Amino acid sequence: MLPRTISRHDSNRSRRDPTAPLRHLDPTLLVCTLALAAIGVVAVYSATRGPGPNYVDSYLFRQFAFVVVGAGVMAVFAVVDYHKLHDWAWVFYGATTLLLFLVITPLGSQSKGAQAWFALGPFQLQPAEFAKLSLIGALAFLLSEFKGDIDLRRLVALLAIAAVPMALIMLQPDLGLVLILLTITLALLVVGGVPGKYLAVLAVVGVIGVVGVLNSPVLAKYQRDRLTAFIDPQNTSKEATYNVEQSQLAVASGKVTGHGLFQGPQTRLNYVPEQQTDFIFTAVAEQFGFLGGATVLLLYALVCYRLWRIAQIARDPFGSYVCIGVLAMFAFSVFENVGMAMGIMPVTGIPLLLLSSGGSSTITAFAAIGLVLNVHMRRFR
Amino acid sequence: MDTASPRLRMSVIGVVVVGCFAALFARLWYLQVMEAPQLEVQATANRTRTVAVEAPRGRILDRNGKVIVDNETSLVVTVDRNALRKLPKDQRDALVSKLAATFTDFGTPTKIETIERRLADQQYDDLQPVPVVNGISQDLMVYLSEHAEEFPTVGVERESVRKYNYGAYGANIVGYVGRITKETLEAVKDSPGVDPDGVAKEYQPDSTIGLAGVEAAYEKDLRGTPGTEVVEIDAKNRPVRTVSYQAPRPGSDVQLNIDIDLQVKAEDSLRQQLDATRGGSQKDNYGIRVKNAPAGAAVVLDPNSGAVLALATYPTYDPQDFVNGISDERYQQLLNTNGVSALIDRAITGVYAPGSTFKLVTASAALNNGLITGGTTYNDTGVFTVGGQDFRSTGKNGYIALPRALTVSSDVYFYWLGSRMDGTTDIQDTAARFGFDSTTGIDLPNESPGYVLTPADKKALHDKNPDAWPYSDWFTGDSVQLAIGQNAVAVTPIQLAGAYGALANGGTVYQPHVVARVLKPSSRTGIPLGSPDTADVLRVVDPVVRSQVDMPPGTRDPIVEGLSQVTHGGTAALAFTGFDQRAFPVVGKTGTAQVQGKADTSVFASYAPADQPQYAVAAVLEESGFGADAAAPVVRHVYEFLAGQAETGFKAVETGKQD
Repeated sequence: MLPRTISRHDSNRSRRDPTAPLRHLDPTLLVCTLALAAIGVVAVYSATRGPGPNYVDSYLFRQFAFVVVGAGVMAVFAVVDYHKLHDWAWVFYGATTLLLFLVITPLGSQSKGAQAWFALGPFQLQPAEFAKLSLIGALAFLLSEFKGDIDLRRLVALLAIAAVPMALIMLQPDLGLVLILLTITLALLVVGGVPGKYLAVLAVVGVIGVVGVLNSPVLAKYQRDRLTAFIDPQNTSKEATYNVEQSQLAVASGKVTGHGLFQGPQTRLNYVPEQQTDFIFTAVAEQFGFLGGATVLLLYALVCYRLWRIAQIARDPFGSYVCIGVLAMFAFSVFENVGMAMGIMPVTGIPLLLLSSGGSSTITAFAAIGLVLNVHMRRFR
Repeated sequence: MDTASPRLRMSVIGVVVVGCFAALFARLWYLQVMEAPQLEVQATANRTRTVAVEAPRGRILDRNGKVIVDNETSLVVTVDRNALRKLPKDQRDALVSKLAATFTDFGTPTKIETIERRLADQQYDDLQPVPVVNGISQDLMVYLSEHAEEFPTVGVERESVRKYNYGAYGANIVGYVGRITKETLEAVKDSPGVDPDGVAKEYQPDSTIGLAGVEAAYEKDLRGTPGTEVVEIDAKNRPVRTVSYQAPRPGSDVQLNIDIDLQVKAEDSLRQQLDATRGGSQKDNYGIRVKNAPAGAAVVLDPNSGAVLALATYPTYDPQDFVNGISDERYQQLLNTNGVSALIDRAITGVYAPGSTFKLVTASAALNNGLITGGTTYNDTGVFTVGGQDFRSTGKNGYIALPRALTVSSDVYFYWLGSRMDGTTDIQDTAARFGFDSTTGIDLPNESPGYVLTPADKKALHDKNPDAWPYSDWFTGDSVQLAIGQNAVAVTPIQLAGAYGALANGGTVYQPHVVARVLKPSSRTGIPLGSPDTADVLRVVDPVVRSQVDMPPGTRDPIVEGLSQVTHGGTAALAFTGFDQRAFPVVGKTGTAQVQGKADTSVFASYAPADQPQYAVAAVLEESGFGADAAAPVVRHVYEFLAGQAETGFKAVETGKQD
């Protein structure tokens, strides 16, 4: 009966073991994530059902399905020990890079001016979304190997690892995603121990290179517009102005308490273009007002706080770096997307993770949260 | 890890993230709490459009409550311009030419350019479908709905349009309506009428407005109160739903003094007499001239109130032509109907030398200033010489007093009176009191004042236009001519009827009124003016006295004595042969006004019945010969109707006697 005894012993041990992963599930992060995804489903529906009658509900069901799938993916990414994922980091990176390459070949399909999707029946797979995770994995792997000792050669290696997916995504082109990858890389370089002087040089080069050119008074406005239009053809200047105007009107229209679900006129009458993706926050802000908008921001702030906190208490640098990478991904997504909808950030089409409609981005966001939950659960073993 | 610990580096990340969230919260607060009121206004204007819904106009009723102008529903084909613009050019062009062809096939001849012009017309609200063809048949509507897929962006709407129960009769009185012009819109924008509840009846760029007649003069009453529909529109400018709807309310009804049956009789008489006269010839001292009889007017007034009972003019037009927008071609035809315009109401706008009908004024002036009495005689030798110039008349009447001079229309007697009043403005002053030389104030647009020249007027005219008025001095000859209603005087038929009305009532000149009262919107019909049932009456147009002519018995009696005989043994005896004057005695005067190179203007002015005057009737027929030839028969036919006497026929008359 030995096997039975062992078996019983095992189960008893797992129930009592204070380091058992499930005992250290982060409830705050989980609840906030699911709450945001639920709000997202409602917001997407309200933004796409149309002025009626004959309401459109296809977006509702799709987004709901994505959330369900995403939650499953999150569970998988949380349960499988992230140290195993650590070993697979390069496989993910390689696979994603291959997909990013394939998507700009005729295998990929074009939509809204960007060659960014694989058409899979009724769904579209956007590999660049997954590139966010695989870049986090690859950089976290390398940084943890370097153990904070980074010279110029290693820095160049890190930058090269980051540059490959960025360059491929630039070819689609998708400026928003490139900016996310840039932010992730920057954040990881900071926490990964890249010496201050290098960071300073990188910052100076970046500022001069991007901001300097785009905002130089030497360039006339139309030239700047042309430049940004070239980089990001989805938003020509006139349209961008209209979008931002309408989205700010939608936000303001919500006032303190909002119009109520399905009652926001700007939302109901489709005044805000691309509302279910780039401007999803306006749907929340108009229908639920400052209370609703602030609640969503607060949920994101809590998510970010937990990501930051778990990075600090992680068992090892790799786990910590993964958390910081995910934090950078979320924080930038929220700041750029919500900031754009409220007119304090330039218009670049990036999704608001968990809230915006879209399969690839939603599932990636869930996977990222799953990874962080994983790190948190295994911080004692 | 040379310069900073991992914890410090993470803190840097944390600070940046906190900063980002702080910025987002601050911006959210700013937009939704601080800026929201201002932005809300902008957003609402952004999302809704207020569309005015035109209301049916009030109806126009005659004095017996018969509906002259009503409303009916008309079918209008509209095109949604916004949707049309989204079609490719070739499809758009094909649609327009197909529409034109279909309209033409279904009996509404339409040119492609007409549709294109409507579609390009910026006066229409961009949000609303543009009417391209009005007044289509039921068949066409059915066809369009059955072939809807062949006519994208095309719709059929209903609108309220005017319906004229008496056709062209009374057109000059009721007038017509049309789409407001940009200039008029600017002019009336700040002063719209108000309905009985005090709601302003605002105009829109495609509103209908009264353009002539009572439609124009009583626009503020007749216009309905537009409804308003606030429509929510989506980002693509498509109406989504109606936020609020206020139904339009019809305008107030207007009841006229006009008796539509009398109006029909007056117009028929005028037209038939002109037809009978046309082509005849006039022979007198001045030779033979053809009677072209192109135009004329007839007026029936109530001398006791100034109420206009009938107001006929010829040629006239059919207001139905204006209902769905008049074509340029038709409009040009109306402006040139046998050489004259059909759009002029000659009863109030036409100015004519009154000829001998003006002797009423001369006689009153002479009697009132004591120049003569009813018994003062003068020897009519057939010629009157003054300042070395001979003024002749047809025939000689010997020693006659004023009554006889009026009955036989002795020019010499009046030449003599005119010469004796030369140097005064007695005739002009008396004329002014009879209501000449100024507009009567009738409630219709475009009235002419006519003129009665004084020496000062003549000088002023000469100074202004020496070619037309070669002499600046007033000659005795001018006074002599003025005395018989020539040269220095021109009057409108309505003024003439008003003056004879004053003689009838003892000297009161009333402002003529076409409209008797304004009734509530959608009032009950069939209630005559005198009825005690006044529940629907909103406003009554009271008689207004314009002026008073001094008419003591010493003045009035000899004049009435003379004019009473005109239709018996006088100048109009032939015209009234067979008319029962014992039952319905007519007091009147013929007039024959010379027009250089043309047949004379035939004039007759009168009132009846003599003892208890109820009607003042005047008629003026251009190029129709002596007063007794054409104008007197028209008046006789009107009286036949008024007195209920047997109708007689119309014939060409050539009396061969002047006046």
